[in-house]
Amino acid sequence: MGLLKKTTGLVGMAVAPNPHHTLGSLYGKILRTLQKMPESSVYRKYTEQIVKERAAVLKQTKDTYEIETKINCGQAEELIIQAENELNLARKMLIWKPWEPLVAKPPKTQWDWPPTKA
Amino acid sequence: MSFLLKRTLGAGKNLGRAVLNSNQYTGIQRVATKTDVATPQVETRPTVAKLDPLQKSQLIDFGKYIAECMPKYVQKVQITAGNELEVLIPPEGVIPILQFLKDHHSAQFASLVDIGGMDVPNRPYRFEVIYNLLSLRYNARIRVKTYTDELTPVDSACEVFKAANWYEREIWDMFGVFFANHPDLRRILTDYGFEGHPFRKDFPLSGYVELRYDDEQKRVVVEPLELAQEFRRFELSAPWEQFPNFRGNPVSEEVVNQSGDQPKKE
Repeated sequence: MGLLKKTTGLVGMAVAPNPHHTLGSLYGKILRTLQKMPESSVYRKYTEQIVKERAAVLKQTKDTYEIETKINCGQAEELIIQAENELNLARKMLIWKPWEPLVAKPPKTQWDWPPTKA
Repeated sequence: MSFLLKRTLGAGKNLGRAVLNSNQYTGIQRVATKTDVATPQVETRPTVAKLDPLQKSQLIDFGKYIAECMPKYVQKVQITAGNELEVLIPPEGVIPILQFLKDHHSAQFASLVDIGGMDVPNRPYRFEVIYNLLSLRYNARIRVKTYTDELTPVDSACEVFKAANWYEREIWDMFGVFFANHPDLRRILTDYGFEGHPFRKDFPLSGYVELRYDDEQKRVVVEPLELAQEFRRFELSAPWEQFPNFRGNPVSEEVVNQSGDQPKKE
């Protein structure tokens, strides 16, 4: 079985019972959501790269501690939260479609600084 | 006797010069003599803020990344001299950009530090709303700037960051910028019956009204302002240009400019 993790050390964050399984399913869902975006979108390209990299680590080992050290982005519970956030974001991106060209150009002098010649 | 005198007097003279030359008292500065004016020394010590080219290059890369991921909303990305990355967006892009910066794996700006407002009356969209974010995972800060005028509402960031609640109330109270879908948009800093938005540039320093307790009516009454002395304006800025050597240096360096128009070249 290996060492049991007693606590994450972070307030309000419970120890996840089977992080390998949870992360695997979350990464699968993210990749399926990303498939619906157009191939040319940069967001899809880079997010797929990140998620596939992490999923590859999951395939290599089932040990939680090894997963944490190889991905090197915090504890397994934090990785689960990050993956859930990315899933939410990907689903919202399907609605917003940010890969389209610029929706509103600023007025001529909007971003000039200093605002007046002084 | 004379030997003794010579020791004291002569020694005093030599001692003084030895002290100045030996520099064992590092606090004393040598006054420039004719010999060392000819070789001016180049200043190599850093100024107050240390330059960090690595951080600047990382921020520039991240700015380009954001502009590539969300070209629909990013008008411009710039970086200031103090390594502060700024993303300039139209008001339609507030929620998508903030959500992206909060949730994406390589961003994770989970902490909303501040929402500030700015009033530039000359512009068509006079108010700027400025979101400051902090990423604890990557120890990085970023600023997101939008624009609006007196009547156009901006989407509230409360659904993305709960902390935005009071900050947006403050901007509503002080500037009059309306936030759509805000759970509870009401005044937060001004008095209960206060009229006006104090941080606007056209709102005077002393305000328009004064309050006093009226003994006949037995309550506080609101009356138009009466100052004992008329307002005196002191011109604190000097009439001459202050930094002629830095005339051509822009405040911020452009990383990405999708809005297309070039800044005025003088």
